[in-house]
Amino acid sequence: MALLEILEFPDPRLRKKAAPVTEVNEAIRTLADNMLETMYAAPGIGLAATQVNVQKRVVVIDLSEEKNAPLVLINPEFAVIDPEQHEYQEGCLSVPGFYETVCRPQRIRVSALDRHGKALDFEAEGLLAVCIQHEIDHLDGKLFVDYLSTLKRQRIRQKLEKAHRSQA
Amino acid sequence: MNRNKPPVIRNKGARRTTGRPQRGKSPAKPAATNLRAVAATLIAGLLNQQGSLSSALDVVRVPDNDRPWLQALCFEVMRHYPTLQALLTPLLHKPLKERDQDIHALLLIGLCQLRVMRIAEHAAINETVQAADALKKGWAKGLINAVLRQYQRQQAELEAGLAPAEAAAHPQWLWDAIQQAWPGNADRIIATNNSHPPMTLRVNRQQESRDVYRDRLDHQGIAAEPCAFAPDGLRLRSPVPVDQLPGFYQGDASVQDESAQLAALLLPASPGLRVLDACAAPGGKTGHWLEIEPQLHMTALDVDADRLRRIEENLQRLDFPETTLRCGDLGFPADWWDDQPFDAILLDAPCSGSGVIRRHPDIKLLRKPEAIDALVEEQQTLLRSAWSMLAPGGVLLYCTCSILPQENAEQVARFLHDTPDAREEPIDAAWGIACAHGRQLLPTEEGGDGFYYARLRKVIAG
Ligand SMILES: C[S@@+](CC[C@H](N)C(=O)[O-])C[C@H]1O[C@@H](n2cnc3c(N)ncnc32)[C@H](O)[C@@H]1O
Ligand SMILES: [Zn+2]
Repeated sequence: MALLEILEFPDPRLRKKAAPVTEVNEAIRTLADNMLETMYAAPGIGLAATQVNVQKRVVVIDLSEEKNAPLVLINPEFAVIDPEQHEYQEGCLSVPGFYETVCRPQRIRVSALDRHGKALDFEAEGLLAVCIQHEIDHLDGKLFVDYLSTLKRQRIRQKLEKAHRSQA
Repeated sequence: MNRNKPPVIRNKGARRTTGRPQRGKSPAKPAATNLRAVAATLIAGLLNQQGSLSSALDVVRVPDNDRPWLQALCFEVMRHYPTLQALLTPLLHKPLKERDQDIHALLLIGLCQLRVMRIAEHAAINETVQAADALKKGWAKGLINAVLRQYQRQQAELEAGLAPAEAAAHPQWLWDAIQQAWPGNADRIIATNNSHPPMTLRVNRQQESRDVYRDRLDHQGIAAEPCAFAPDGLRLRSPVPVDQLPGFYQGDASVQDESAQLAALLLPASPGLRVLDACAAPGGKTGHWLEIEPQLHMTALDVDADRLRRIEENLQRLDFPETTLRCGDLGFPADWWDDQPFDAILLDAPCSGSGVIRRHPDIKLLRKPEAIDALVEEQQTLLRSAWSMLAPGGVLLYCTCSILPQENAEQVARFLHDTPDAREEPIDAAWGIACAHGRQLLPTEEGGDGFYYARLRKVIAG
């Protein structure tokens, strides 16, 4: 297993659209394992392949405090069950240090493949629903900062650019 | 995603996150130093749709004096790929597996040597068979030997069975597209696509005139002719390595195709103008624009950090250190733009490259017709995004190195139709063909590459 580099906003590679996985094979399982390890180490509760510069539709999630309930979603999609929007303070491993309120539908129906290529179909609500939507956004080149006001987004960008410059 | 309550102590040291772009490519490791085997490994990567030939050659490790031969071999195989593949198909009883594409590549190499490169038959066959050992695939020796010998026996028959597109070394879709778009010029375009490109220089007009530079070349025994349409251009009678060009490292001249040298001439250039080269890497046109007017406030953008470094190198060589370099996606201005509109924008859009096939013959293998539609959509998105950053009264030059109307005149027609504040500013020139919108240069053997230009002005509302 290996830790992967997590891209940070405003890295343009976060804007790339991920391609569907055509075959769930050993390479995809290794990617998912490395993503889980990277996510746990960060630490985070969700990570999309786009964030580690792999343009494939793979997402890993683990909401448990004990880090023992990993969920691997391949080619995930969702449909809104309850269009009522809920607010949630979101953060993102690609936007380190910033937490902002984002509104999203609160109940969704999710379909995806698991790490063995088996079809999954389930309902999600609350934090899980938020997290899945946040990660699927990544696969489409979208970030939670896109939901914020221009002013807020610019401020976050400038702070991160400054941080990157001082690391360089 | 991470939790809304950040951990109290953040272990900065353990975070492996940086926003700084990292080298994405890992160097190709050839299985051996047998050059045919190295070529087979590179070509196998292309057959499996990974990367491009020039990027593979950039990172391959071989002794310097072997490089020209390796490069020539790979280019020749790509130039003839559609023909070689069509000849090979009936000779192979079943297709090779993905992991054995290096053997497939060796067969193409063998055929290319027999058919095109006029390498002595026994050498072509024996050396190619031996290369299988270098790839540690001794099992394939019999296969390679049998296929190449069978080709020799059945050559006349096999050649006679080629379809016109195959015989002309073009994929069918591209052959069709060329015939459809340019019926009167198709034969000439196809012949040019299969030829070896000239090496053309752009003399840095900040340093000296092209006549003076031509004399300097002459002193070095390098023969050059002035280009017909590009005032800074000199076409070399035969290509030379850049380190033999006088003053190359001092920025006296750059390598750039004649058609590409027309871009900067179509753009406004006056001191203090705020300008954007929106898809700039490796900075060929950026450099020319600055040579014409060094006092421009230039921003050079590219989405690819590795390629952005090439702009930096080029502008250092030409001594334009003031340029603002940005790594960003033109489609997402909010991620990199400072909200100050530009007075002029050059959009040299990512395209099919159908005008530069002689320089990038791997296009024949790598481009798929299905991908063209997506490319056309992307170009439209980029055009709209660039437009949003253009000041009223400003000029945008849209260009591609394509000869396909969808990417060019049709693209611009759609944009003009949807954009009320855009007016076409016709290009009055001695070169190229006037289209419904913009001007098209077709590739010619003695002249420049295939290129398309359209100039658009943002009218001031009122
Ligand atoms: C045709 S090349 C440009 C050649 C360059 N103008 C020259 O003359 O040297 C297109 C460039 O666009 C860049 N590119 C592609 N998509 C882009 C995007 N969305 N935003 C910015 N640059 C992009 C590519 O990385 C590539 O370097
Ligand atoms: Zn995220």
